[in-house]
This record gives sequence, C-alpha cells and structure tokens, in this order.
Amino acid sequence: MNEVKVGVFLSDCGNQLSKILDFNALTNYVKDVSDVVLVKRNSEFWRGEGLRIIVDAVKGGKINRVVVAESLPKLSEVSIVQAVEEAGLNPYLVEVIDLKDHCAWPHRETPKEATEKAKAMLLAATERAKLLEPIEKLEFPALKSVLVIGGGIAGMQAAVDLADLGFEVDLVEKEPFLGGLAARAGRFFPTDDCAICIQSPASDVKTITHTSRKCVYRSGFTEIPNLNILANSKVVGVEGVPGNYKVTIEKKPRYVNELKCVRCDLCTPVCPVEVPDEYNAKLKTRKAIYMITPNVHPPVYVIDESVCKFRDCAKCVEVCPTDAIELDQKIERVTLNVGSIIVATGFQEFDSSVIKEYHYGDYPDVITNLELARMIDGFGPTGGTIIKPSDRKPAKKIVMVQCVGSRDRRWNPYCSSICCMISLKHASLIKTAYPDTDVTVCYIDIRTTGREHEYYYERAREMGVKFVKGRPSEISRDPETGRLIVDVEDELLKRFLELDADLVVLAPAMVPAEGTKELAEILGLELEEDGFFKEYNAKLRPTETKLRGMYLCGGATFPKDAPTTSLHAHSAAMKAAKFLITGKIVKDQRTAVVNEEYCGDCEFCPVTCPYGAISLEPTSEDHIVARISDLLCEGCGICVGTCPLNAIELRHSRPNQMLAQMKALMSINGTSKPLILTICCSECGHAAVDSSGMAMMQYPANVRVMKVPCTGILQVHQFLEAFKVGAQGVMVVGCKSDGCHYEVGSQQAEKKVALARMLLKEYGIEPERLEMFNMVYIEGDKFAEAAQTMTERLKKLGKLQLMEGS
Amino acid sequence: MTSYALFLGCTIPARQPSYEVSARRALTKLGIELVDLANMTCCAPPPVQSLDLETGLSIAAYNICLAEEADLNIVTLCTGCFESLAMANAMLKENEKLKARVNQILSNAGKEFEGSKEVKHYLQVLLNDVGPNRLKENVSKNLSSLKVASFSGCHLLRPSALLKFDDPEKPYIFDDLIETLGAKSIWYRHKLKCCGGLLRGYADDVALALAREKIVNTTKAGADCIVTLCPFCFLTLDLGQVLMKSTFHEEYNMPVLHYSELLALALGIDPTELALQFHKIKVYSVLNKIG
Amino acid sequence: MKQGKEEKTTNQAFSDVITSRLGGETITLCYQCGTCASSCPVARITPRFNPREVIKLSLLGEKDEVLSGDAIWLCCSCYNCQERCPQKVEIADVIYALRNIAVKEGNIPNIYSEFAAELINEGRIVPISKFLEKKRPDLGLPSLKPVGVDALRKIFSITGFDKIKQEKAEAS
Repeated sequence: MNEVKVGVFLSDCGNQLSKILDFNALTNYVKDVSDVVLVKRNSEFWRGEGLRIIVDAVKGGKINRVVVAESLPKLSEVSIVQAVEEAGLNPYLVEVIDLKDHCAWPHRETPKEATEKAKAMLLAATERAKLLEPIEKLEFPALKSVLVIGGGIAGMQAAVDLADLGFEVDLVEKEPFLGGLAARAGRFFPTDDCAICIQSPASDVKTITHTSRKCVYRSGFTEIPNLNILANSKVVGVEGVPGNYKVTIEKKPRYVNELKCVRCDLCTPVCPVEVPDEYNAKLKTRKAIYMITPNVHPPVYVIDESVCKFRDCAKCVEVCPTDAIELDQKIERVTLNVGSIIVATGFQEFDSSVIKEYHYGDYPDVITNLELARMIDGFGPTGGTIIKPSDRKPAKKIVMVQCVGSRDRRWNPYCSSICCMISLKHASLIKTAYPDTDVTVCYIDIRTTGREHEYYYERAREMGVKFVKGRPSEISRDPETGRLIVDVEDELLKRFLELDADLVVLAPAMVPAEGTKELAEILGLELEEDGFFKEYNAKLRPTETKLRGMYLCGGATFPKDAPTTSLHAHSAAMKAAKFLITGKIVKDQRTAVVNEEYCGDCEFCPVTCPYGAISLEPTSEDHIVARISDLLCEGCGICVGTCPLNAIELRHSRPNQMLAQMKALMSINGTSKPLILTICCSECGHAAVDSSGMAMMQYPANVRVMKVPCTGILQVHQFLEAFKVGAQGVMVVGCKSDGCHYEVGSQQAEKKVALARMLLKEYGIEPERLEMFNMVYIEGDKFAEAAQTMTERLKKLGKLQLMEGS
Repeated sequence: MTSYALFLGCTIPARQPSYEVSARRALTKLGIELVDLANMTCCAPPPVQSLDLETGLSIAAYNICLAEEADLNIVTLCTGCFESLAMANAMLKENEKLKARVNQILSNAGKEFEGSKEVKHYLQVLLNDVGPNRLKENVSKNLSSLKVASFSGCHLLRPSALLKFDDPEKPYIFDDLIETLGAKSIWYRHKLKCCGGLLRGYADDVALALAREKIVNTTKAGADCIVTLCPFCFLTLDLGQVLMKSTFHEEYNMPVLHYSELLALALGIDPTELALQFHKIKVYSVLNKIG
Repeated sequence: MKQGKEEKTTNQAFSDVITSRLGGETITLCYQCGTCASSCPVARITPRFNPREVIKLSLLGEKDEVLSGDAIWLCCSCYNCQERCPQKVEIADVIYALRNIAVKEGNIPNIYSEFAAELINEGRIVPISKFLEKKRPDLGLPSLKPVGVDALRKIFSITGFDKIKQEKAEAS
C-alpha cells in the first residue's frame, strides 16, 4: 500500500468562520498532524478556484487522502467527490466535515472553545481519512424486461408505457379477460367517458404520437409486438435478484386456442350450461363458454371449467368451424426472466354482507355500487335500465348509503376515498336518464377533493338528488309489500327518517384484491396493516417497494380513481425503466463484508437485515456462514450491530475508523465542561445536528459529533470504548423509532443502549451517562436542548471513575 | 342429570311466580337439576351499573364466586341477570387489570373471582344440554296454530362482543326454540328494538310509548301472543297494556307469555299448576289454541 | 355555548374525565355519523334524548348541561347503538360512565336513590312482597335462600357505594 498523504482544506466561508474560529491556530495545528502533507485555506473549496486547488493536489500525486472542512457538506460533498474521482483518486478516500453548522455557529458565543473543538474535529477527520480504503464500483446485469401483475387500468397502463419504451413486457392477469374492476364501472368520473376504454390501454399504440383520444377497442393493444399478455394466469413463484428475476407463472387452461378462435359465436348458442353472470352482478346469465363483453382482450372465448360438462357434452367442439376448442388443455407452467416486477393487482369491493343490519345478501334489492354500475352501463345486463333485482321492475325510489365498511373500525378504518364520487356519478347518471327517479344519498361527509369533483356534487343537487346527513342504522324489509325501509337520522334536521325504497345501493369500502396476501408472500413484499401493498415511502418514494426492482401501482396500494391510477402507473413504469434502461445496475461496494473465520452457525443477521441481503450458506467445514449480496446490501450496518461475533464490518465504516474518530474527538477538550460523544446516524440524526447549527442554536462545545451510517451499526462495547477514550457522556441520536431510513436501525440501537445501560450499572457507572435520542431534521432545537441537558447532568454527576479493566 | 346453580334474581321471585314455577317444572322435567345457593344477591343490572360500574361488576363477580365455590355453572332465567353476570364474567376473564381491581374489592368480602365458570341463560341449556331433538320428543301438545311474536329482550343479545349469545342483528336461536315447540314465530317491525323496560320508574311516559310500539307492531303482524324471556320485558308489555288502556284508552289484549310457560304448556304440564293468574292480560286465547 | 380560551381548557378536562373512567374510554372516537341516534329506540320517541348529541355535548365540554340534565338518564341500555357504531364507541358504556360521574357529583334521580337504598339495605333492588313469599309453598316453590347482604356491604365499603346517599344529601 502506498504511503498515506493527507491534504486538509479549510474553507473559511468568505471569512465568516474566521470571525469565530482562529484559522491560524487551526492551520498550525493540522500541519503537525502526522501524515498531513498539505494544508490549504480558502473561502470555499467546493467549486471554482478552491476546487481546482484540491484537483491539482490530487492530480500531481501530492496527496492521496482528502479532508475538506466545508459548509453545507450535503451539497459540497457531491461536487468534491466527483472532482476527486475525475482527478484519478478513489472517491471514497474523501472526508468532508462541517466546521460551520457543527462548530462555529452553535458555539459562536465561546469562540476559544469553538476553535479547540474544531481542532478535535479536524484531527478526527484526518485520522479517519488515513484509515479509509478504496471502494470499488460493481456492475450487475439488468434484463430489459418487466413483468406486470394485474391487467386492470394500472397494469395495462404501465405495460403499455414500458412496451412503448422498448422493454419486453409480460402482463399477467388472473381472470380470463383484461380490464379489472374498472371495466365494470360503466362510466368514469370526472370525465364520464365509458369505462370500456379501460378494457384496453388509454392510448392508441399505433398512433402514440397523436394526442387525440382513440376508441380503445380499436387500439391494437394485443398487437404490440413486445407485449405478451398472459390472461387466466397467476404468479406462483419468484427467484433471483433485482435486475434478474426468474418468475414462474401458472396458466390456467382456456380450453380455446387463442390462435384459432375467430369469435364467430357459434359456440355459445349450443352450450347447454347457463349460470349467473358474475361479471354482470348476476343480473343475467351466461354460458359455460363465454366472453364477458364483445370488446375485450384477449378477444377469445373461455370455458368456465367449474360448470362445463366437457366430454359429456362437447357441443361447442362440434360446431366450432376452426377446431379452436381444445377440451384437453392442461395447466401450463411458464418461466419468465425479467429485470423488474410491477404489482398492479388493484382492489375490490368489500363484502357488505358482514354488516348484518344492512341485509346485503338477504334482500335482493340491497345492492352495491358496482352492481348498480352494471345496470347503468348501456352494454350491461339491463341495457341501462335501473331495476329491482327481486322482480326486475324499474326502481323509482333509490336510497344510496355511503361508508359501508369504510371509516368503520370494525372492518376498514380508512376512507376508501372514491365512493362518494362513485355515488354522485351514479346519482347524476340515473337522474339524467330517468329524471323522475327519486334518489337520496345518506352520507357522513361528502368528500369531493379532486378537480371537477365538487362539480359533481353541485350537479347532483341541481338535478334534485336528495342528501341526508346521517349514516343509516338499519335497512329492513316489510315482508308483506317487500319494500325496503332505511332508518336514518337526518342530523341537520334532527329528525328520524324512515326512507321508503325500491332499491338500496350500498357504497362498500374498497379492499385489497383477493390473493393480495398470497402474492405478497411470493414476492417478499410487505403489506400495510389495512392489507394493501406497502409503498416504500408515500412522499419520497411512491410506487417503490423496499426491494429495488419491484414496484407497485394503482389500487394495489390504496383505492384510487382512474386518473390517479393512470398517474401512478406511469410513475411505476418510469421507475422500472430508470432501473433497467442501461442494461446494468451500477452500485458501489459500500456494503457489509463478512469475516468467514469468525462467522458461523447463528442466524441473527439474515433475520435483522431489512433488505434480505444476507443468506446463510454452508461451507466446506460443515458449518454455515453469512453471505452478503453486494447488490441488495444498503450499507446501513444493522448486521454489524447484530452480529454477536464481530464477524461483520462495513467497508466504509470499519471499527478501527470509528475508534480513531472517537479517540480524536475526545483528545482535546478546551472547555471546562465534561466531554460528550454524540453518535448520530447519517440521516435524521445528522440532519437534526445540522439544523440546530444552521439556526444558530447554542449548545456547549464539549459536545462532539461522530457520524455513522445508521445507529443500528452500534455495538454495546463501542459505548464502553467511548467512555474509555475519555467521554464523560454518550448521546446516540437516531431517526424516530418508526421513521428509521433503514427501517429497524433506530429500534436496534435503542435495544443496544438499554443493554449498555444495564452493563454500565454493573460496572458502577451511572447509566444516565448514556442516552438515546430520536429526532428529525426540524428538531434542531431538540438537539441543542438535549446537548445542554446532558452537559448539565454530567456536571452534576461529576467526573467519571473508570475501574481498571472495565 | 346436568346441574346448575340457579340464579333467580329479584324480579322473578318478587313479581312473577308463574315464570319461576313454569321454568322449574319444565327444566326438571327435561332432566336439568337447579341448585339454589345461599347468599346470592341482586345481579347488579343497569340501574346499579348506572350508579357505579365498578360496584356493579364487583357484585356480579361476587355472585359468580358463589357458583365457583359450589363448582357449578350458573343458569339464569332472567335475561337481565344473564347480561349482568355474563358480561362481568367475560370482562373479567378478558381484562387482567380489571380482574385484579375487582378481586381487590372482593377480598374484603372474602372472595376471589377465578373465572372458572360459565354463565348461561336457560335457553342455552335447552339448546345444548337438552337439545332440540329431545325437546321436540318431549312436546306433547300441538302448538301449530299459534302465531308467536318473539321478543328476547335486548340483554340476551347485546352487547354481543361480551355475551356472544347469538347474532345480534339476525338472531335465530330463540325463534328456533319456539318453532321446536311447534308454534310459528312471526316477523314484526322493529322486532329487535327495546321495550323500554329499564326506563320504568324514571320516565314512565317514554317506557310506555316504547312498549306501545311493540304491542302495536305485534298486533299489526297478527300475532296470537308475545313470548318473552325477561321479566322486565314481561312486566312492561303485560302490565303496560293496562296502563295503555288508562293512558291512551287503547285496548289490545295481546297476551304475553314467558317462554318457560309456553314450554311447560307444550310439555303437557297442567295450565292450572302454572300460576297463570298472575298475568294482567289473560292468556285464555292462547290456551285455547293449544291442542 | 361559551367561547374563548378558558372554555378550551374545560373541554379538555371533561373529555379526560370521561375517558379515564370505566366505560368512558372510547368517547373521543366519535365522528358524529348518527348511527347511534338512528338506532336508538328512545331518541325516536322523545327529543329529550339523543345519544349523538350527548356525546357531542360531552366532547365540547358542556359538562353541566350533560351531568345535570335529564338526557343521560333516558338511555334504555339496549346496546343497539353500541353494536352498530362504526367507530366502536361503546356508547351505552359511555352513558354509564357519564351517569357514574353525575352520581359522584350528586346528580341522582330519585328512583336511582331508591335502588341504591334497597341494594344497601336488602341486597336486592326489587323488594319481595311478604304476600308472595308466603305463597311460595302453595305454588310448589322452594323457600327463598338468604341474601348475601353483609358481603355486599363489605364490597360497598371499598367502592364507596355506601356513600352514594350521603353525596346526594350533601349536593342538595
């Protein structure tokens, strides 16, 4: 290894910092630190002339470690690291610290103390820099192909986006036909277009450059060459890693050859089996061989194997002119190799029959919004007439009931967010077609939060739809007349109404689609408490999951209207495209590494790793060791903190680097107060320290900050080490317990701190010398306060007495 | 023979001997032994819970303790007693903290609630210990021309989370047991709504209005009689009709029977032995329909 | 209703008082959907009681109106509302909690004082007539077992139930 030559670059921020910190003293101090060969001072080092000074020193071979004290390190670090890399040095041999927000600003009232702290900070950065090692960038293959699961509005949109961008796309739908829930909705708000649009993608692929809307059943969706539709199919297994998954699909037999069927419709008239048509809310029947509507994808008949008599009948086989019917088809297994997976499995209506007081399922004239939608649809089972299912006579008095199973802590505590609009849309459509129909909507709150949505509410009132504020308590049926009675309190009138109705339409909650849980298990994805797929972070990382390479969109994450679903689908498609577009995944090796000599036969780290990056593999010596995937490892170090044998280290945060930093920070005091080591995570913890400095909140200079990737990396013995090297107190600052950027790091650290406190007590050291704090960026004041409090506490406790050997 | 500690309560011995007579006769005939324990008290129904819930729970728990000591499950005749005791039993079995608090109170009376016994309404005994088949075999009278408006009383069903007796919105157990005797159980509007019994004494006008609704709805539905399980409901609906006559000048003459009376009659027990003379609304019309 | 800052602190205090009491824990979940009122047989008959309004008033801190009023005593404890409440507010139990608080403050309707007195004296809330007790053998009924009134009194001395009548006297 080459001789270590450190260059230290001190930015005085246009002489702002030198008003507080004694830069001459700092320069003189750093000069004498071993292995420091160059010390420069400038007003800034992250751009222009200052940056050139660094680059020249690196290029000339004068230095091979770079320490920069610069303000706003979050910003400046990026350009410095990049320039250093271009100059020919490994970019991970750079250490940037912030003398402004971590020193000068928060200690401006005690400039002498601040200067002494700055020395310690520079020493710590230099000592760490000396121990840094080059880190390589790795490349992993990424297949330019995507599996989209779910052929509803979201899945189709994402599939078309990616196909248009040139990716190979496989679209898997569990039903025999595409379209999903949305296809049954009749019409969509806020544009009132027919929902059949959804049975194919929203754009005409042949005329993708045109902005005019094309009627979709003529769009040629099935003809996109790089889009492979697998209807009647489901995912049964996934192996592999992001960029290279092997997916097993189980394809149910269709019993009709897709290539031979010409949709002549000779088969359905001869089929003797007639069953209620689920797709049409059982308001009509269909045959065992059927298509749900004439314009669907794939445009091929299917045989319902649960009711078909097969060889005992085979009448369809006899009449089929193209021999398309193949009663011997079996379940097929297909294996796909894809780089990425998009889950678009959507939602479904909640089963309202569990709310017994509404008697859905008992009374045929109590129906759901989706069932009503089938009636409103001109292509639907009633041709657009609103009927009472009990006697098929027109329904003249309709009562709608909102929030059925939504906002209901017995079933689904959340607001399903689209049901108000669905009901308003239905009420308006009914009033438009049949103005003399009496429509009453019973609601708790009407929620019309999107563009054009409030207009629906307004229009409904104009049309004479009645609104009753109150959630009905019961729907009963007069056994003699068969009429329904809806009991509700009109809260605004404080009057109890018994609404007489031909038809009661429930607005059920929207819940995750059937099979969501099973799919999540297969894919290794997490679900929210409400059962929907968990987005990595709704604000910062929508449509992403914790697993890179797997994305979510549409109703799979929460109920959504059609426009939002489209947007969501575009987002997921974009994320997948971004991930795969270069055909490779470039990732640096700032990852964990296992010392296989120490590692063996325990299972802690794979369980704790939030990213599933650790697997256990048997070695030749008949024992098991942990192996870390450089692709999946996020470099948090939670495994390091978990390993009972000290067998894991992070390449970019080795124990010797941390110890050297600690020692340096504690080597100079310069204040009369007890030294405190603050170990903060690089996310919220560090940000809180930043923000307190930026806001010039004052805390004493005896508080020294050391950054680690995540507090989850910390091990119990490190706290003891901190006391040994001179700390009188230790503060651990991490993200909120439930807001850790690495999921469980903060929680792990809390456990370690609790354990360490017990140990301290055993050693006769006051446990309150060690404390964990959880903060976010905006809580800079909390950090300053904690630093103050801790200092006062330690003053009261007096000097730490360490027993020999502890 | 299956034995139970009989929790008799207050209202039945105080006012409704016909309930007690018919229940004791019928259950004994069906092979159920009822054991009368000493030192039982009021069950602590809603009026006591209204004064102090904690005291109410402690009283209920105290009574359950007596059954625990006798190593017997409890059977109640009164729906109100069933609710008070079963609710307390369930709450204390589920909630350790509450149980600890109640036991702290009970220790002063030398008791400790263990949670080892069940509290059952006698319908559950008929359903599970006797069984519909044996019950049917024992029926010796023909009730097939009798149209019954059943009314179980609220506290047989609710709060369902604790009582777990039947589906609170679509109950069927009681109606099935009426039909097992051969009578027909009919639907009427607001069948599951309260009779107002608990408001008697505080707001007699409201209580009477609620009772009147019940009588009106059952009359409209063409019932021959109302069959109840709760002495409070019975009182509200039976005596209530006398009050309706004096208050509203309305005469319904809707006979109200306890299920135990219907059961005893169906089993062939002589009506004259059942103390039916204590009913305010005479039940001859019902007796005439029983063949 | 009164306005202003002072009112706010009172509000907080009253909902705290309710939630910290057995039965009252769930009151703050209420979002005023009216399912309780619509389920309530009493509310349909008289404007004197509406469970939704009792909860609203309580949450707004209208302590006096709630505790000294007649409404809370008009609940018939049928639990219809509690079964159906979509927010799992234990409404009937909340009413018990409110009654318990009212009792503590000395607001006890006469009939309830009588219940309390009967319970303390006899161990029952419905007195048994000597006439019927004498008639039991004729009806084929066993004689009544003794009532555990002493045990109850020991319970009451811990829960403070025996002070209820006194509180009433002090309040009036």
